Amino acid sequence: MESALPAAGFLYWVGAGTVAYVALRISYSLFTALRVWGLSHEAGVGPRLGEWAGSSQPAEAETQSMSHPSDAVHLPWGQMGSQGLGNQGVHTQPMEMMLHLKQAIEKHMRQLATRHQQQDLVPEDKRPYQAPGEQEALLGNLMYQLVNLLQSGATDGPGLQPSCPSLDVKGDAGGGQWQWAQSSRQPAQPGYQLNDPEATFVSQHLSRRGIDISASYQASFQDYKMYQGDKYHEDENTLLSQSDMNVIEDVLLQYPDWSGHPFLREEVARFLTCYCKVPAQLDPENVVVLNGCSSVFSTLAMVLCDPGEAFLTPTPFYGGFVFSSGLYSKIELIPVHLDSESTDANPCPFQLTVDKLERALLESTLAGKKVRGLILINPQNPLGDVYSRDLLEECLGFAKRYNLHVIIDEIYMLSVFDDSVTFHSVLSMESLPDPNRTHVIWGTSKDFGISGFRFGVLYTHNKEVASAVSSFGYLHGISGIAQYKLCRLLQDQEWIDTVYLPTYRSRLQKAHRYITKKLKALGIPFLNRGSGLYIWINLQVYLDPCTFEEELLLHHHFLDNKLMLSRGKTYTCKEPGWFRIVFADKPLRLKQAMYRFYQVLEEQKQRLRVKQLESTQRE
Amino acid sequence: MFTLPQKESRAPATCPGPTSIQDLDSNSGDDLERECSRKPDRKLPEDCGASGPTAMLSSDSSCLSSRGRVIKWFWDSAEEGYRTYHMDEYDEDKNPSGIINLGTSENKLCFDLLSRRLSQSDMLRVEPSLLQYPDWRGHLFLREEVARFLSFYCKSPNPLKPDNVVVLNGCASLFSTLATVLCEAGEAFLIPAPYYGAITQHVYLYGNVRLVCVYLDSEVTGLDTRPFQLTVEKLEMALQRANSEGVKVKGLILINPHNPLGDIYSPGELRDYLEFAKRHELHVMVDEVYMLSVFEKPAAYRSVLSLEGLPDPQRTHVMWATSKDFGMSGLRFGTLYTENWDVATAVASLCRYHGLSGLVQYQMAQLLRDRDWINQVYLPENHARLKAAHAYVAGELRALGIPFLSRGAGFFIWVDLRKFLPEATFKAEMLLWRQFLDNKVLLSCGQTFECKEPGWFRLVFSDKAHRLRLGMQRVRQVLEGKSRVAEEPSSCQTQEPRSQRR
Repeated sequence: MESALPAAGFLYWVGAGTVAYVALRISYSLFTALRVWGLSHEAGVGPRLGEWAGSSQPAEAETQSMSHPSDAVHLPWGQMGSQGLGNQGVHTQPMEMMLHLKQAIEKHMRQLATRHQQQDLVPEDKRPYQAPGEQEALLGNLMYQLVNLLQSGATDGPGLQPSCPSLDVKGDAGGGQWQWAQSSRQPAQPGYQLNDPEATFVSQHLSRRGIDISASYQASFQDYKMYQGDKYHEDENTLLSQSDMNVIEDVLLQYPDWSGHPFLREEVARFLTCYCKVPAQLDPENVVVLNGCSSVFSTLAMVLCDPGEAFLTPTPFYGGFVFSSGLYSKIELIPVHLDSESTDANPCPFQLTVDKLERALLESTLAGKKVRGLILINPQNPLGDVYSRDLLEECLGFAKRYNLHVIIDEIYMLSVFDDSVTFHSVLSMESLPDPNRTHVIWGTSKDFGISGFRFGVLYTHNKEVASAVSSFGYLHGISGIAQYKLCRLLQDQEWIDTVYLPTYRSRLQKAHRYITKKLKALGIPFLNRGSGLYIWINLQVYLDPCTFEEELLLHHHFLDNKLMLSRGKTYTCKEPGWFRIVFADKPLRLKQAMYRFYQVLEEQKQRLRVKQLESTQRE
Repeated sequence: MFTLPQKESRAPATCPGPTSIQDLDSNSGDDLERECSRKPDRKLPEDCGASGPTAMLSSDSSCLSSRGRVIKWFWDSAEEGYRTYHMDEYDEDKNPSGIINLGTSENKLCFDLLSRRLSQSDMLRVEPSLLQYPDWRGHLFLREEVARFLSFYCKSPNPLKPDNVVVLNGCASLFSTLATVLCEAGEAFLIPAPYYGAITQHVYLYGNVRLVCVYLDSEVTGLDTRPFQLTVEKLEMALQRANSEGVKVKGLILINPHNPLGDIYSPGELRDYLEFAKRHELHVMVDEVYMLSVFEKPAAYRSVLSLEGLPDPQRTHVMWATSKDFGMSGLRFGTLYTENWDVATAVASLCRYHGLSGLVQYQMAQLLRDRDWINQVYLPENHARLKAAHAYVAGELRALGIPFLSRGAGFFIWVDLRKFLPEATFKAEMLLWRQFLDNKVLLSCGQTFECKEPGWFRLVFSDKAHRLRLGMQRVRQVLEGKSRVAEEPSSCQTQEPRSQRR
């Protein structure tokens, strides 16, 4: 909290309204970003899981990853300035200045944060950092220059104007994605009104759909959620760094087969045959590889549906699908709402049944919607459910009865860490009810924690679908070099079986055990499943009234305490009060996170008590 | 939102004559840059008219949506020629009688340099941030490097800003995303034809955007000073015609250096085109993917980014990639530079679907940073090899008495084989194309570039000397035999085997 104060102090000191506004925006986005720089930041979270076992990661790594949040550290400090100040037109100068300022504030705050962290975690850090005094002097100097520039710019009149509307975006831009994600969240936050992305995107240059795309991306809650799930693992690092990974052959640098290099598709077929326990060898010709599962989903939606047609989707479900379905393909996702209540008909919370599918299909058909298929996520995100073979068969049977396609997303298939739970891939079935309409998605983002690799797989028996999706290969292609590395990775079955998977799962298991223990101690209901990187928890008792507005408020209370969770609304959950906690993190962080979690809930209890008191008094 | 290219939407109303909206069927084949695939048999415009693919499509695949069928058709038609080539690829040792590929525009001359550079130890770096979800516009370190690189090689008067750079997996994705964010479905871009035909597919697949051709003539008449010259007059006319036909044109695509003409626009011409666009509030997408592949007088080339004071910077969007200039079409790295923040942001919003691996981003940054290697090793050697290969092929063509266009840029020569066609039709052009293929040499025919005159071919020369020699030998055989065979209609049906994909 106090880390923002130095910057704020200067604002008073300068006393220039415009500057204050501008700088506030910037420092604000930084500030919020920092607050959120808690549990779920990718870069920070990434390497931590590695510590479950050995816990011998050097202290340096800790601070190193603290400095990751902003790529701006890579920015050569002086160079940028000379570029900006030396050569740019007058109204770009403030932008450069602003960038500087932003970096300065950022740096400052990072150091504060680092020190803070160090007190907690690693007392003896040798990294030099500037004393606060120097930082403040620097900030002061920058602000001073900025004021001068703005004053000189003011005589130019309109020169400054055009760049102003997009300031917020600019401010975010330099700092990398985490900030972007923050600003995207802001419009929905009461009291965070400084930043209005909608306004930014009323552009004369974009088409309507272009504006929609930008706005939906900005306003979307989905993005930062994506950062949460994925982990990076130390062991992987070593494998990817092995010298055999860096092979350059001419075919890798030339135009590939757009459905993927044959060597990679063969390897994928072999890999899936093995890990999905497929009775007969899968055919490489049925494999299409693209740059990520979002791309696979997007292309499937394009080729299976016409605009406005729909897919049934058991809900809550991974919010990325909403984004993907709206962006390019313009298909509708019809939620099949599952209940948390356990009843006779619904023995298990959020139990998927064919009955519910039937009903949803009937209702949507009656409403005049054209339903083309069904989306299943197995293991489920965010519930963590792993579907039984029977349920799978029933669902596929249902789809077959109505000629529905089934897109089944098995991206967490290797992330089942509970030995008593068995994952059944649809590909493991002796005979698929409707092979021509069953399409499987898998990728390395989750199971191998390399979301930055951009690799997603489609497996479909339907040659037409495979061809049609391959048409997009050009637009979703993966670098030949990356294809080679992926091939090597998937090939190394011994490493996967003896090193990677056992370690990965046992770390997940430990983390899961820790979190569930804490949750139980706090008396918080949750779904205890044995898969995925997350737990679906129920915080309804902390909402009064139990509404999505209150859910959002609670979400913000978490953020204010530098803890990022995903709220149920993001998963189209129909009941307010559910949250998803990602637990795939290293012990120290988890401990810290759970402490903050506890604090927020205590505060929330307090707030509820006050609220109740007030309402009884009123009565 | 999406109107599908069904009969209705493709009816003559939107398919005007000469300026015609790019008809999907007409260039089908070009989608893949390995234009070798060009085998435009069933999609001759005169054959298919407005009903071509739709009629063909209605018959098959119950599983796909209607747009899915069109999308698949792109794949199928692209695949055929490519498949033929791949079933019988030339290999010095294993398959000396295989097909020589003079059709795909790839630089195969500098693989040794590249593989050496890319294998250096500085290229292999794995760190967490590279493996995690990136900034979707591209890692900052890479965008900074791209900005510096472009500032230098495009001779930009002011340093370009990393924040205006968006990095994604190739120029194809750039065309696609720009089309999506600048146009509504059904709107159009102007493009001087002949042009690199794959753009049709790029802007259509997701964007449902059409191309309006600005047809250029080989004849030098009026104010033209060279064959296939683009003039503002022609742009104006094409735009007017499109407007009168109710087609909403939102932008202009320029390819500079030009593919397939090898043309280079002078700064004056560039400015004229940009002014034209500004007058009509059109976006200009300048594809400069061959900018460092100007091997004759490279200094004469001017990037649009080098212009002092762009007429309409907010509507000028520049694309570049390493596919051509660094001979790495398989690497999938493309970049956009635009002063327009809204456009950059909107494109970035789609980058989630067009991202490239963090490890590759790192390698690209390393490569672009290595100015010494680029300036002292790679570029001089690359230009020298291109020049030598070009000189050889040009000499061969001269010996054969074949007119051609070549202006010292790109990997290809635009060859005039009109006198070898018994009649001036695309059917005849395609027959000749097949004869080449039968004689185990693959070229790209003019129709796939939407050239309006039958008989032009693009011949790629950026390949190893022995392959070129063999390839040219086979070309010569066909052309020499041509006079003899011309009477009897060719009995050479290459393949009908649509049996299996790829």
